[in-house]
Amino acid sequence: MARPRVVAVLAAGALSLGLAGCGGGSGSSSGATSITVWNGWVDQEGKAFAGLVQAYEKSHPDVNVNVLQVNQDYALQKVSTAVRGGSPPDISYLYGSWAPNIATVPSLVDLTSTVKKPSVKWSDFYPGERKVATVGTKVVGIPALVDNLAIVYNKKLFAKAGVSPPSAGWTWDDFRAAAKKLTDPGTKQFGWSMPANDSEDTVWHWEAMLWEAGGQILNADNTKAAFDSPQGLQAMTMLRDMAVTDKSVYLDTTNSKYADLFNAGKIAMLITGPWDLSGFHVDDGVQIMPSFAGSSAGHQTIAGPDNWVVFDNGTARRTAALDFLTWLTAPAQVKTFSLETGDLPTRASVAQNAKVTQQMNAKLPGVKTFIDNLSNVKNARPQIPEYPKISLALSNAIVAVMLGKLDPQAALDQAAAATNAALAGD
Amino acid sequence: MTTASSTYQRRPTVARRLARSEHAVGWAFVTPVTVLIGIFGLLPIGWSLLLSFQKSDLLTPETPWVGLSNYHKLMHDSAFATSVQHTVVYTVIFVPATMLVGMLIAVALNRKVRGISIYRTAAYVTMAVSTINEAIIFMWLFEPSFGVVNSALAKVGIPQQLWLSSTSEALYVIVIMTVWGWTGFAVVIYLAALQGVPQDLLDAAAIDGAKPLKAFRTITLPLLSPASLFLAIWLSINALQLFDEVYLSTRGGPLGSTTVVVYYVYEQAFQEFNAGYAAALAYVLFMVILIATFIQFRVGRRFVHYNR
Amino acid sequence: MTTGTETAALGASVPSAPGLEPEDTRRRLRRPSPWHLVLIPVSALLLVPLVWMLVTSLETTTETHQFPPVLWPHHPQWHNYSQAVHAAPFFRFMLNSTFVDVVTDVTNLDICSIAGYAFARLRFFGSGLLFGLLMASLMVPFQVTMFPEFLIVKWFGVHVWTQLGIDHLGALVVPNLATALGVFFLRQFFLTIPVELEEAARIDGTSRLGVLFKIVMPLSLPALSTLAALTFLDSWNSFLWPLIVVTSENHMTLPVGLTTFQGAHDTQWGLLMAANTLSLLPMLVVFFAAQRYFVRSVASTGLKG
Repeated sequence: MARPRVVAVLAAGALSLGLAGCGGGSGSSSGATSITVWNGWVDQEGKAFAGLVQAYEKSHPDVNVNVLQVNQDYALQKVSTAVRGGSPPDISYLYGSWAPNIATVPSLVDLTSTVKKPSVKWSDFYPGERKVATVGTKVVGIPALVDNLAIVYNKKLFAKAGVSPPSAGWTWDDFRAAAKKLTDPGTKQFGWSMPANDSEDTVWHWEAMLWEAGGQILNADNTKAAFDSPQGLQAMTMLRDMAVTDKSVYLDTTNSKYADLFNAGKIAMLITGPWDLSGFHVDDGVQIMPSFAGSSAGHQTIAGPDNWVVFDNGTARRTAALDFLTWLTAPAQVKTFSLETGDLPTRASVAQNAKVTQQMNAKLPGVKTFIDNLSNVKNARPQIPEYPKISLALSNAIVAVMLGKLDPQAALDQAAAATNAALAGD
Repeated sequence: MTTASSTYQRRPTVARRLARSEHAVGWAFVTPVTVLIGIFGLLPIGWSLLLSFQKSDLLTPETPWVGLSNYHKLMHDSAFATSVQHTVVYTVIFVPATMLVGMLIAVALNRKVRGISIYRTAAYVTMAVSTINEAIIFMWLFEPSFGVVNSALAKVGIPQQLWLSSTSEALYVIVIMTVWGWTGFAVVIYLAALQGVPQDLLDAAAIDGAKPLKAFRTITLPLLSPASLFLAIWLSINALQLFDEVYLSTRGGPLGSTTVVVYYVYEQAFQEFNAGYAAALAYVLFMVILIATFIQFRVGRRFVHYNR
Repeated sequence: MTTGTETAALGASVPSAPGLEPEDTRRRLRRPSPWHLVLIPVSALLLVPLVWMLVTSLETTTETHQFPPVLWPHHPQWHNYSQAVHAAPFFRFMLNSTFVDVVTDVTNLDICSIAGYAFARLRFFGSGLLFGLLMASLMVPFQVTMFPEFLIVKWFGVHVWTQLGIDHLGALVVPNLATALGVFFLRQFFLTIPVELEEAARIDGTSRLGVLFKIVMPLSLPALSTLAALTFLDSWNSFLWPLIVVTSENHMTLPVGLTTFQGAHDTQWGLLMAANTLSLLPMLVVFFAAQRYFVRSVASTGLKG
């Protein structure tokens, strides 16, 4: 029989494959220290990151940086298994919303003392970013990426309908009126598209509205819902008026179609982030968020910052990881990365560098508005482990209102009850 | 037993008798599979049972023992009850539908027609194409304003349906999506089984004047019954654990109308960081699947035609 | 290199097949069968996702984001294919996938045949309970068992052999050497084979293993080839486990490697679909190799008597 031999050959192949991949992993006592970095960056971002890593390795011959690309959709499953199984990476890119949960991990390195070092220039990071990187009194991460929401609109559709394009002084009533005029059931054109799936995609759009109305998600000590307020009602009613009364909103229940429909000229306005800009092929303009008439909260927006976190794999690797991370997030590298990728600078000093922002805007028109919009980030989502439950309660309320299943007050009451139960540890 | 009398006369040792017995041979045959599945399949399941008695946030190594409280909690969890309901509705439609479509196509493919291997490959390819492609295509086909399905229905005067945006229709779109995705599997299984249907039996029936439909019912269908039982069980096991299609399209929405049990388990473990509770939920599902499978085997015994 | 051995392995496991159709049916084939009228539309329906994938693989990024969807790219982007191959260590991924799949396919067929035969034909103590237990391994969602399984594999890597541990191909192979699905499937199939055939051989003094390998398995070629194709497919598409266990690019399998084209916000659909298409090819090869035996009728191999 030939089979056993075949298996033997294959097994030998496995052995050689296995040996070939033995480079990475544990830090060694002699010579170079190897650290592992997990991130979710592909394409342009992946190339830019690889370039930075190469530069670092060149100037630090004693450190090897092994980069692994992890699909962010599944990052939590991979990271949590590795962390609990005792084999975490040294550095990992993680969504900011996971920070409160990650904070409880014993092998997570507390960065509080690191960021106090003057060389880190911690205050140069935007307040919204620092809030998300801080859980209680503990700094759990260093900002890796920041974005925010703004209006992106199709200039041609506005011109065709004779509607003046969004201005920086727009209120939500202006937004609503424009969306209504830009809606045409005959040609299946919608004024606006809003995510309507059971996820945070839906919720953070509404949270920006809540803040613009002057409301808050929770009370000051995070013990009770605060969104069931007149301000919350105002934000929720606006959604109902647009989605149900005017029918000017395309509800993207799978949050997967808005970009294609926007490109097809079927949607006039989106509220979205800078990541979408490179995918839009219509003549688009960008404008900051509307405000609510009579509210002093202004044109606030919401940021979704993500963090680099460090796990402890022994002194040598921890020291190397901290050194690499400090270097990676220093202004010079933030500038390089933003210029190469079009991602918003995580540091104010870089964002205020007119030469940088002009160069970025030339490459990716509209991105400057998003950069400037970072100063409209005044609030952050509560950094507490119960937030995912609150988010789910809110998404249910928002979608129910937009589908016309619940009226705004009832939806808010229901979400508030669920939120208070979650906060009470139920 | 043919050898029984001779063994009796020679009174062999216990070991020899054991070696010849079906018990020993049987156990020898199943030992490799038992060891492998025991370690990599059953041990993790037992382990997760322990997890279901603990409070775990997925990340911290401290997982305090909480006894049965996860199980108490799930009995009063209305979201879980709803997810069970969705799962049951889904399974009850998905399994028979897939079997029926698969059987019809397999019967059509089971003939000596030129280029038949191309058709068979077409059926197989549906399985090979990944779920994400399938999900993307269906999200567009069933898109309420722009989708092909609605424009086709409009031609025959049926008003616009919301499909995946409707709390009452989304689950059925997922049924259609998954029936399509699994059809290839059912076809391949039925094709293999159809090879066991002797053509001369069908020819004899035809000579006796039996209508093709009657011959199918009295000859082919009983001979396909072991494959049908296999499919019913395997499709049910998978249907009760539906996840990918929901994750890739609706994320359980709108308003939780497509939240099936495993999606709820995922939500609890990887969104709400309740890994212990998720394990308890999964264990209840496990028990349900176990019982459902047991019943299917029992019922199968009465209807399935074996050659033994 | 491994691709070569793959066909060798398949060739070794099955005897060469004689011509499939008898002479008289061949003559009958001259006139196109009316069945094409049914088969063509059905296949067309089944092939929509594949066609969509092929079309997308030739589109520019702009075209992949267009509505209504582009049905045929204006300028087919053939370079998507070369780019997909070069953007990531594509052949490395393919080599890893092929190795894992071929090994697990061969072991599954052997181990599951033997066990499936025992459950179908032998009456042994505890067989019903054991069968139920094995089936139980299919019934718990992986999201819950993956963490314990990770720890078990890690333990094997530390205490038994490094090659079995985290971030080694052994961790992808060993847990999948045998599956309860294979046992169940073959048991069901073996039960349909007339037992009289085996009894004759048993009286002649052939051992159980002899009966299995000389009589039952040759009669089960449709089932074995089906299982081979299904196991290969399952393993080829396996995603979550390799994602969690593999932590270096060197050991990534195709599905994990292909996520390199999927960013958090933008997916390079053209590249992704080109890579997907390429990764489909080995599966089609396996299927074509196996499908010759799908049609080997049990009835035509001497069972009539």
